[in-house]
Amino acid sequence: MPSPSVSAIPQLLVSTILLGGIYALIAVGLTLIFGVMRVVNFAHGEFVMLGMYLAFWAFTFLGLDPYVMLFIALPVFFVAGLASYRLVMRPVIHASHNVQIFTTVGLSIALQNVALVLWTGDFRFVRTEYYSVVVRLGTTAFNISQIAAFAVAVAFTAALFAFMRWSYTGRVMRATAQDRQAAGLMGIDTDRVYALTWAIGIVCVGVAGVLLAPLYQVYPTVGLQFVLIAYVVVVLGGLGDMAGAVLGSLIVAAVEVVGSYVIGTAWKEVLYLLLFIAILLVRPAGLFGQRGAEQLGT
Amino acid sequence: MRREVPALVFFGVAALGPVAVRDAFLLDGLILILLWGAAASAWNVAGGYAGQISLGHTAFFGLGAYSAALLGTRWDLSPWLGLLVGAVLSTIAGLSIGYLSNRLRGPYFVLATIALSQVLLIVASRWRGFTAGSEGIPVPFRPGFWTLGIADKRVWVYLMLGLAVLLYLVQRYLERSRRGYQLAAVREDEDAALSLGVAARRLKVIAIAASAALTAVCGALWAQYVGFVDPFYVFSVDLSVRFALAAIIGGLGTALGPFLGSVLITTLETYLRAQFGGVGAGLVGIYLIIYGCALVLVVRFVPQGLVGWLGDWLRRRGLAGAAQ
Repeated sequence: MPSPSVSAIPQLLVSTILLGGIYALIAVGLTLIFGVMRVVNFAHGEFVMLGMYLAFWAFTFLGLDPYVMLFIALPVFFVAGLASYRLVMRPVIHASHNVQIFTTVGLSIALQNVALVLWTGDFRFVRTEYYSVVVRLGTTAFNISQIAAFAVAVAFTAALFAFMRWSYTGRVMRATAQDRQAAGLMGIDTDRVYALTWAIGIVCVGVAGVLLAPLYQVYPTVGLQFVLIAYVVVVLGGLGDMAGAVLGSLIVAAVEVVGSYVIGTAWKEVLYLLLFIAILLVRPAGLFGQRGAEQLGT
Repeated sequence: MRREVPALVFFGVAALGPVAVRDAFLLDGLILILLWGAAASAWNVAGGYAGQISLGHTAFFGLGAYSAALLGTRWDLSPWLGLLVGAVLSTIAGLSIGYLSNRLRGPYFVLATIALSQVLLIVASRWRGFTAGSEGIPVPFRPGFWTLGIADKRVWVYLMLGLAVLLYLVQRYLERSRRGYQLAAVREDEDAALSLGVAARRLKVIAIAASAALTAVCGALWAQYVGFVDPFYVFSVDLSVRFALAAIIGGLGTALGPFLGSVLITTLETYLRAQFGGVGAGLVGIYLIIYGCALVLVVRFVPQGLVGWLGDWLRRRGLAGAAQ
C-alpha cells in the first residue's frame, strides 16, 4: 500500500462514486420500504444474497451473463417480493414495531439458512471472461464490472426516482407515506400500495445483488455486510428519504474508500460503524431528516 | 406462593437432573438449557420488562466471554475476576447504549445495538496482538473451583442452576417491586409515566445496564464451560437473536418464559445437530430455518408466548392463578 499522496485523489474519487452508486441502489430500496410502510426490513441483506446466488447459478448452469440475468431478475424478484409481502408482511403491517422487527428478523434467519442448507457455506464467485479487464482513464483505473454495475445502478435509481415523482402510482405511494389514514380516506387501497412498495424495494436489492455478483464472493451470510452499510446510509440520509439515501451512499463510500486507503482494509468497517453510532448520537434523524423523526411511532 | 409453583417444579427438576442422569450428553443439554435460559432472561430484563428491544446483546455476552478468557490466558488470573471485569465493562457499555435508548426508539435502537456488537466483533477479530484475532482463544483448563477448571458436568449443572435462579429472582423482582411497576409503566407509555413523576429515563438506563452486566456473567461462564471463544460466534447477530427468540417464545416480560423458550430451542438444536451434524455441515442450518419461521409465527399468532398461552389455557380450565 503506497503512502497517502495527492496523486491518489482522482482514483479515490472515482472509486467512491462507483461504490456509492451500488450502495445507493441497495439503500434506496430499504428507505423506500421504510418511508411508505414504516417498517425497517431486517431481511433486506438476504435479498442481496439471493440476487447474487441467482446470478451465480444462472452463470454456472446456463452460462448466462449476469447482465443478461438482470432482465430475468427483475420479474423474479418482483414476484418474490409480492409473495413475501403476502405471506409474511401483510399480517403484521398494522402490528407494533417490535412485532415487525422480529418478523423481518425471522425472515432473514430463515432465508440465510435456506441458502446454507441448499448451497452450503462455500464462497462462490462469478468468474466472467472480462472480470479482470481494467479500464484506464488518465491516472485512474477501474474494473469494467464496477463501471457496468454503477451504470445500471444509477439508471435504475433514476428510473425509480422518476417513477415516484411523475407516475400516478408513485404519487399514490408518496401520499401513503405522508399519511396512511388520509390516503385511505381518499380511496387509496393502501394494502396494494404496501404490496407494490415492498415488491419494488425487493426488486432494487435483488438487482443490486445480481450486479454485485461479478464483484464480490457470495456466501449465505454475505447480506449482513451490505445491509449494515445500507443501514448506515439510510440513517445518515434520514430513514425514508430517497434523495438522502443517495447522498448518504456517497458519504459512506467515501469513508470506506478513503479509510481503506489511509488505514488499510482490515479496519474500514469500524469506520462506518463508528460513523453510524456518531450520527445516531448527534443527529439521529439523519443529515437531512426532520429533527425528531426517529422518535415517531407509526 | 402458588405463583412460584411452576418455577419450583422447573428448577427442582433441573436440580434432580444430575442425581437421576449420568449420561454426559444429557447433562450437557441440561447445562445449556439453563445457561441459554439465563442469557435469555438477562435479555428479557431489557427487552421484555423495559421494552427496549436489542439485537446486539452479544456485545455484552462477548465482553464477558473475552474478559474471562483473556484474564486467564494473558495474566493467569481467575475467570471469576474476568467475570467481574466483563460485568463492569458491560455495565459501562450498557449505560452508553441505555443513554442512546433515550434518544432512539424502535428500529433505530435495534440498529444502534447491532452496530455496537459489530464494532466489538471487528475489534475482537482484527486486534491480533491482544485478542488473538479471528482464530479465537482456547481457554486453558486449570483444575480447581477458583480457576473454574471443572471436569465434572454435575458441578456445572449446579453452577448454571445458581445463575438461572439468580436471573429468575431478578425478573421476579421486576414483576413485584415498585421499581418494576414503574418500569412497566415506562414500557407501556413513556410519556404518561413521565407525567406521573416516574424517573423514566433513569429507570430505562439502569434496566439496560443491569441486563448488559447479567449477560456478561452468562458469557464468562459460557467461555469457561465450552473452553473456546470464537469472535464470530460470541459477537454474532444470530446469537443475539437467539436470546430474544427464547424470551419471545417463552413469553416476553415473564420470569419463567425465557427458560421455557430455552428448553424448546436448545432441545431442538441439540437434537438436530446430533442428527445432521455429520452429514454435510450445511444441514445444520435446518434448525436455524425452524428458528426463523418460529419467530415469524410466534410474534404473529402467540405474541404473549408460551407462558401467557398456558396461563390462558389453565384459566379457561378453571385453575386460575396456578400459572404465570
